[in-house]
Parts: sequence; structure tokens; C-alpha cells
Amino acid sequence: MTDKHTNYGGAYVPEMLWETLRVLTAEFESAKKDPEFQREFEDLLKNYSGRPTPLIFAERATKDLGGAKVYLKNEGANHTGAHKITHCLGQGLLAKRLGKKMLIAETGAGQHGLATATVAAKLGLECVVFMGSEDIRRQRPNVFLMERLGTKVVPVEYGSKTLKDAVNEALKFWMENLDTAHYCIGSVLGPAPYPEMNRYFQSVISREIRAQLKERENKLPDAVLACVGGGSNAMGSFDDFLAEKSVRLIGVEAGGTGKKLGEHASRKIAGELGIFHGYKSLFLQTEDGQIAPTHSISAGLDYPGIGPDLADLYESGRVELAYATDDEAVSAADYFAKFEGVISALESAHALAEARKVAPKLSKDSVVVVTLSGRGDKDLFNFARAFKDESFKKFLKDEYERS
Amino acid sequence: MTDSNKAKRAAVRDSGRVSQRGGARGSAPAAAGDSDAQNPYRANEPLFMAHMIAGYPTISDAEKVAEGLGKGGADIIELQIPFSDPMADGPTIAVACEDALKAGATVASSLTLLSKVSRLGKPVAVMSYLNPVFRKGIPNFVKTIRDAGASALIVPDCPFDSEEGRALLDACKENDIFFVPVVSPGVPKERLEQLAKDSRGFVYCTSRQGITGANSKFAQDLFDFVAELKSIFKLPIAVGFGVRSRDDVATLSKHADIVIAGSVFVNAVKTGGASSIEKTVRELLG
Repeated sequence: MTDKHTNYGGAYVPEMLWETLRVLTAEFESAKKDPEFQREFEDLLKNYSGRPTPLIFAERATKDLGGAKVYLKNEGANHTGAHKITHCLGQGLLAKRLGKKMLIAETGAGQHGLATATVAAKLGLECVVFMGSEDIRRQRPNVFLMERLGTKVVPVEYGSKTLKDAVNEALKFWMENLDTAHYCIGSVLGPAPYPEMNRYFQSVISREIRAQLKERENKLPDAVLACVGGGSNAMGSFDDFLAEKSVRLIGVEAGGTGKKLGEHASRKIAGELGIFHGYKSLFLQTEDGQIAPTHSISAGLDYPGIGPDLADLYESGRVELAYATDDEAVSAADYFAKFEGVISALESAHALAEARKVAPKLSKDSVVVVTLSGRGDKDLFNFARAFKDESFKKFLKDEYERS
Repeated sequence: MTDSNKAKRAAVRDSGRVSQRGGARGSAPAAAGDSDAQNPYRANEPLFMAHMIAGYPTISDAEKVAEGLGKGGADIIELQIPFSDPMADGPTIAVACEDALKAGATVASSLTLLSKVSRLGKPVAVMSYLNPVFRKGIPNFVKTIRDAGASALIVPDCPFDSEEGRALLDACKENDIFFVPVVSPGVPKERLEQLAKDSRGFVYCTSRQGITGANSKFAQDLFDFVAELKSIFKLPIAVGFGVRSRDDVATLSKHADIVIAGSVFVNAVKTGGASSIEKTVRELLG
């Protein structure tokens, strides 16, 4: 047998995208070297999105867990409530450099769609967002907000009607509108150069963690934890620490409700090498090579593939993968709300759930950083359902009757 | 092709392209990119390639669809293996693939159907997205479709110069299968020239870009692109652009070597069942 290292990533796309990807790659390379682009990007991060985001010392949770000091990197403090706006700003600026008139995006939870819609409005671009009709049902508030921002939200009515189908539809629309539209892919996946590009933009998270922790604890973290759907907040949180062998990097996937295919979205549980949505990586799929349905309480983790760089780092052992179930995620969100006054998005709550397991096993002088990829406002309805909140049900009914 | 169809299609050819392509079948000079003595995708008159989905609407009815396509006068059958996420297909084909999978279609059942379709005596080109092929193992997949009677393979999401593209080129060469490039208007000349080096059999030209002429469904841009493809690839050019009617077939026949129709048959199955396919083909071929 060969022990050849797998070439994750690549650009497995129809020929009609070849030229578009070539031009995008060239523009990205030139933008990286352009001080004016850097200045503009950093200015938007600071004065529009509100970076740097705070690094919160979770003092009461640390005491309760009885082990490592727990810090929360609060990406939920970003404008629009999640880390997604960072790569949208970067791509939006690139789209303008390319002379594109429109941003298009897929969205699961609605966070990436909302971030794209926001950036499009800010930069004066049109915006079309594709979203599975099942996700629209689960995330109505974000759909409403996107529409207020002037974006057209297109429901995708076929397949599993979730994130992967939204990607398919966005790709099709892109192929029909290559001259005018830039496809703002929402994670560190898709054909090259997207994984590298989004990782480049998101890497600011890890640089901030390093600087903030240096100031507070004068040391590197012992572990960095982040939830993983496609992996954009995880790659962003890990990037600057990859060369620091003392720092454990742990990605936390959606364990859903069980270990059978269709009950979770964890590639650690059942990921197999495949080629899909333009890249080679680990995917949840059937024996026949059909992409499998996934489940997670959090729409943002409800996706079959993992970013190629993360698959590579997992294979090499540099990044560990873990998973948290739906119930563990809800419970962790509740725990940190009560102890730290932080209501996290259900996606990020998966990383919090793992932190509750990891921190007690580590010594008191060690430091664990958990990235809160987003805040929990968007999950209001999901939380209310998870906690079987009767008064919320009454509120919705009253609200409906009032209109 | 039935004799009456042949006569009518010859008339189409004569009205549209006699000046470029007169002469009897078999007299066209073999071009540089087409050294195969017998390329079933090359003819002196336009050929009609009918697309179908293995297992749509059901596994047993798909066989009837294939028979109908053959009897109606299709020269070539394109057999698509259904995939859960057909990203390069429009909604009609995408939903039909989903229906086929729901009705129990698998890669194995698609290959069984391929053997049956091959017995109709028409060349069969297999179309699949990359992941099912990759999952089965590239050399294994190619050998299996060869044994089942396919003569060409189309994988729209696998560039020739990727690791898997090179493996497919090698396996296809070994098994005497044409690995067919899929190109679209807008693909630059340098890229086409690069693809042409490895291309055999024919070229599959399609698009999802809205290329619509002022006075017709097909813009001059498309015809210019087909002409460019002919000069670069020196292979028959198959064109699939949402063919719906007899007029569409007639117009494309003036430019393309092979006219492809697909979603029109899915729609026909939806409204009239598998038994309506023969008539649908006859109507298209006029």
C-alpha cells in the first residue's frame, strides 16, 4: 500500500469556472501584496465590524470546572453577530477590485448570508442569497434581516433543502452570471482559492488571541477549541498556532442525536475521502458515493464536508477532532449563559461543550481558549424550543394575533 | 436511425450545411485529434444524442425510456448515473436524479441498465459526477463501464489536469473509452488548447450562462464558439443547450456535429410516462 499523503483541496469544477477561478486567484495574490487593500480591509475590521473582539476570562466557569483557565474569544461581538463578516469583507473588497456588481452566497444558519448582505449594502453591491427552504423555516429572523438589507433571498426547494443544496444552487446561479457576480463562499471550503482565501481573512482571530493572551497571561494557550462545520472560525482560530507544537488545537463537530448516518454532521464519526462542491476532503457519504443527509440542531454545522486544510491537519494529527451532541450543545450554551453572561450561538456551543470536558483535566496554570464563533440571538427560537418554554409559545401566538 | 428519419435529417443537413460538409458518410478525413479508425461519434450528418437518467422514473421504466429513445431515432444515448447533488445540472435534471435515487437507483443498478442499453446497438456515453466514480475506484469504474458496453465517459466536475483527471485519462485509454471534455463559451483558447491535447471521441459543449440571441434562442456567440472548438479539437462537437423543439434541433444541426437533448425527455416522462418517449424523439427529429 502507498503511504502517499492525500492531496486535499484542489479545484474540481466544470471548465466554465476555470477562468473565473484563475482570475480570482490572481487578484487575491495581488491584493495580499497591496498595502492599500490591507489598509482598507483592516479599517473595515476595526471601524465597521468592531475588531479586535474581546477575549473574556470565564472566571466563574473556570472555578466551577476546577481545571484550566477558560477564556472565550468572543467573535459574537462582531457586527452582525458572528465571525463570518470578516471573510465577507475581504471577499467583498476583492469583488470590487474585480469589477463585479453583485455578491452571491449560500447560507445555512443565515449568519453567512446576513454577513454577505451587510457587506454588499456597505460596499454598494447587489446581493442574492441562496438558502434551503428547511433552513428558512428554522432561521426566519435572519431571512427578514437580509431582506431589510436589500438582499434577495432565494429558497432552495430540492434535495435536503439545507446548506449543501444552497451551495449547489448558488454554484448554478454563479455559472449563469460569471461576468457580474462574485460567489462569496462562506467557509474554508469549495474550490481553490476559497479555502486559502477565507483562512487568510479569518486568521486575524488567532493573531488577536495570541496578542491578547500574551498581555493577560504572558503565555501561549495550551489548547484552542472551536466548532467545525466547514471550519472557517476553527481555521481562523488555529492558523497562527499551527507552528506552536505546545498548543493543542481541537475542532468540535456536530454529534447531533446519534451515530448513524443522517443523525449527525461529524466527519470524525463517519467521514470518508470524497470529492464534492469543488474540493477533495472528508465527506459524510454513502457506500455508493452519494452525499449523505446530515443533522445538527445548529444549521451552521449541518453540512457534510470539512474544509480541506482541516482534513489535512486532522490526518497529520496536528488538529484533533471531537464532537458534541445536540443536547450537550444546548446544555453548554445554558451553562455559560448562567456563569458568564454570554449567550452563544448553538454552533459555538459545541466548542463550549467540549471545553467543559477538556478544562477539568488540565492543571490550573494552563489556559484553554474557546472561540465563540457567534452570539445566540439568532437561536432564540431554537433555545425556546429546546427548553420547552411555554411562555414563548404564548408570546408568538399573541404577536401573531396582534398583527 | 430509421430510414425515414435519415432522409429527413439529410435534408436538414443539406439545407443547413451542405457547403461545409457535403459528401457521403465515411469520406470525411480523419483529423489529428481523432486517430481512431472507428469513432462512432463521427458521421457526415448531424447525430442526435439523447440524454437519460439511469433509474428515472424507476429502474424498470428507465429501460423503457432507453428503448423509446432508440426506436424514436436517437443515434447516441447519454446515460447519466444519478447523484445526490448534481451541481452542473438545471433543476429539471436535478429533481429527476433525486427521484431516481428515491426510487432505489444505485451505481450498481445504473451499470446493470447500461448493459441493457448497450444492447440497443447505439453508442452509449456514460455521464457521472466525480464522487461516485472516485468512490468506486477510478480504474475499477472505467473497466466496469467498458465491460457493460459504454464507449465514452463524461465527468463534468473533473478537470483533466487534476490527479483524478489524469487517472481517468489513463484508465480510459487502457480500456478504449473516450474521456470527453465538457466545455462552455467563455473557456479561454489557451485552456481549450490544453484540453485538446488529451481529448478523444468528441467534445461536449454546454452552458448554464444565459446566451440568447436577439432573434433566436441561440446567439451567434454560440455558433462562433462551436466553430472555434472544431478548429482547436478537430473532433465532433456535441452541443446541449436546452433543446426543446424541432426548430431547436434543426438550428443546432447546422452548426453542431451532435445535438444533445435531455430535460425535454424528463418532462415527457413526467407528463406522458416512459411510453411517450419514442413519440417525443420523433417530434424533435421532425
